Amino acid sequence: MIIVEHASKRYVKYDDTPMLATRLMRLHQRSERSELWAVRDADFTVQGGTCLGVIGRNGSGKSTLLRMLAGVTAPTTGRVAVGGRVAPLIAVGVGFHPELTGRENVYVSGAILGLRRPDIDRRFDEIVAFAELEKFIDTPVKFYSSGMFVRLGFAVSVAVEPDVLVVDEVLAVGDLAFQLRCIERMVAIREAGATVVVVSHNMNAIRRMCDRVLVLHDGLTRHDGDAASAIATFHDLLGEQREMDGNGLDGGDVEVDRHGEVERFELLGADGAPARHVAVGEECTAELRVRFERDVAGCLVGATVLSEWGVQAYGETSDWADLHGFTAGQVATFRMRFRAQLAGGSYSLHAGVVLPSGVHLTPIPVPVQFYVDGRSRVNGIADLDGRFDVVTE
Amino acid sequence: MTIRGETGFDLGGGPVPARELLGDLWRARELIGILSRKEFLVRYRRTSFGLIWAVALPLLQAIVLAVVLEKFVRFDTAGNYVVFAFAGTVVWTFFANALTGGVGSVTDNSGLSSKIYFPRAVFPIVSTLSGLYGLGITLIVLAGLSAATGDGIGVRLFLLVPATALLVVLATSLAAVAAALQVYFRDVRWIVTAILMPLFYLTPVIYPLDAPEVDSVRRVVQLNPVTGVVEAFRAATTGAEAGAASTVWVTLGWTVLAVSAAVALYRRHDRVLVDLL
Repeated sequence: MIIVEHASKRYVKYDDTPMLATRLMRLHQRSERSELWAVRDADFTVQGGTCLGVIGRNGSGKSTLLRMLAGVTAPTTGRVAVGGRVAPLIAVGVGFHPELTGRENVYVSGAILGLRRPDIDRRFDEIVAFAELEKFIDTPVKFYSSGMFVRLGFAVSVAVEPDVLVVDEVLAVGDLAFQLRCIERMVAIREAGATVVVVSHNMNAIRRMCDRVLVLHDGLTRHDGDAASAIATFHDLLGEQREMDGNGLDGGDVEVDRHGEVERFELLGADGAPARHVAVGEECTAELRVRFERDVAGCLVGATVLSEWGVQAYGETSDWADLHGFTAGQVATFRMRFRAQLAGGSYSLHAGVVLPSGVHLTPIPVPVQFYVDGRSRVNGIADLDGRFDVVTE
Repeated sequence: MTIRGETGFDLGGGPVPARELLGDLWRARELIGILSRKEFLVRYRRTSFGLIWAVALPLLQAIVLAVVLEKFVRFDTAGNYVVFAFAGTVVWTFFANALTGGVGSVTDNSGLSSKIYFPRAVFPIVSTLSGLYGLGITLIVLAGLSAATGDGIGVRLFLLVPATALLVVLATSLAAVAAALQVYFRDVRWIVTAILMPLFYLTPVIYPLDAPEVDSVRRVVQLNPVTGVVEAFRAATTGAEAGAASTVWVTLGWTVLAVSAAVALYRRHDRVLVDLL
């Protein structure tokens, strides 16, 4: 069980590391400090058996919150209390020493994670088997490959049977088979009644594992609810941020010959309402409303969907044979209907009004961030709606 | 609602109760043991002679002392001068190593402490205790020398046990205080080094407490926290000197002071030290 009551964490940053001399002479005592509230007024209670997800952009306070939950650092104000043993799930072996053998490191690392010697003795074979290092367990770990190192670190980490398991963005290490075993293990730990706290940028993992998700933004808890609504909020915030940062696309290398202004750019779900969270295969609409300031003889609209990593998942423009002309002062709404045949994950929708030459007629609108609630077991970008069957002869 | 239990935590902005802090440290005793052993063993890994170094170096130290000090700087001492000087050197070496090694123990382990919590005082404690293996070997050499040159293995050799305990507690708590301060002020490491240099000469390591040469600074030597430990070691090996008992009291006073300072510091800073690493 975790209790967090109005917890805030302040970091005092010195422009330089604090120096004894400056402190003693009381020089620049105020001016050199700058304060940062990394987490502000976090307030929630989590019961055992829950998987709590924490999402937010980099610098939103996720890691600080996680460190408080792990007991690594105390809140500046408020309270953070955890009943039972907290263990972090850490990829890099905790306290591993390169000169020591795998076996010796298991004992050192286990002790650091709070395991008693008899506990380690009892689970030793299980740890080695999980890491698949039976043959190399008496080799100094400096001879290990990075994969072996990570597997052993993980194996010790998951052998701890904690009351609260804290997982910080570690679902991306090791090969796929190993990742699956780690997730299985986390599920088992949770089914045993433990609380699992997961911080991740991987929305699919969050969606699949978490019953409850907090969205942090600038240290504030902006949302506390089920995964789907949290992920939608998160994508809204991403959009807001893009707007504040100016343009989402690197507009620098795009040629714009301004003929008008985008009044609205929106992604609509099957129900016609703006959506940030769509189901796989959902009939969606990209809607772009443009007010023309000059006459345009003929233009095209284009839309592009980029994956989280900036890979183009899809892109299409309207038909050349169908060029429309507009006059100054006219307002036009362009729509593109499409099916979200995408694997689960975060995507961004981009659109623009262009001349056949590729020159943009309006400044590029801020992309819409959205999440596709994909089918489990689908990897990649496209969801081709595969079906499996088998015929025996 | 209290939910802390034996292994959990309940943190607000204020200092941690001393009982909780010491309780957590006590529960970390197995960890302290394992880490200390690792620190000691790692030192000799991949050396051809391995642990032989741990035995050979203190022996060599005793031989060097015997040859050099006996020939050049012979003071008038109660028992055998080599044993006399060796007893002092053993204490000083452990104390100085504990402080120079311990002062950076928290800052140097930032990788570990930013990921997982255990009482931060574990670092300086481990740093000091890992020296205990070496000290144990040295003490055997010392006891052997004392027995060989003095009047055999006597009951007073057992004084080494409380004397060693006093040395370890004093050195550990001072190291813990220095390690915490080092997080805030990175000058502390060099301040410790600077203090240790003159302190060596203000400790009766190679000279007896009552040597006429130290008349001018005797007051300082007597108030030196290490003096009492050295005198206790001497009492165990070569026989007590005049004025030895009072210096042991002074050391006890310092030790109580150092332990209280360490507890006070870690109560307040244990869970926030990591913010500055």
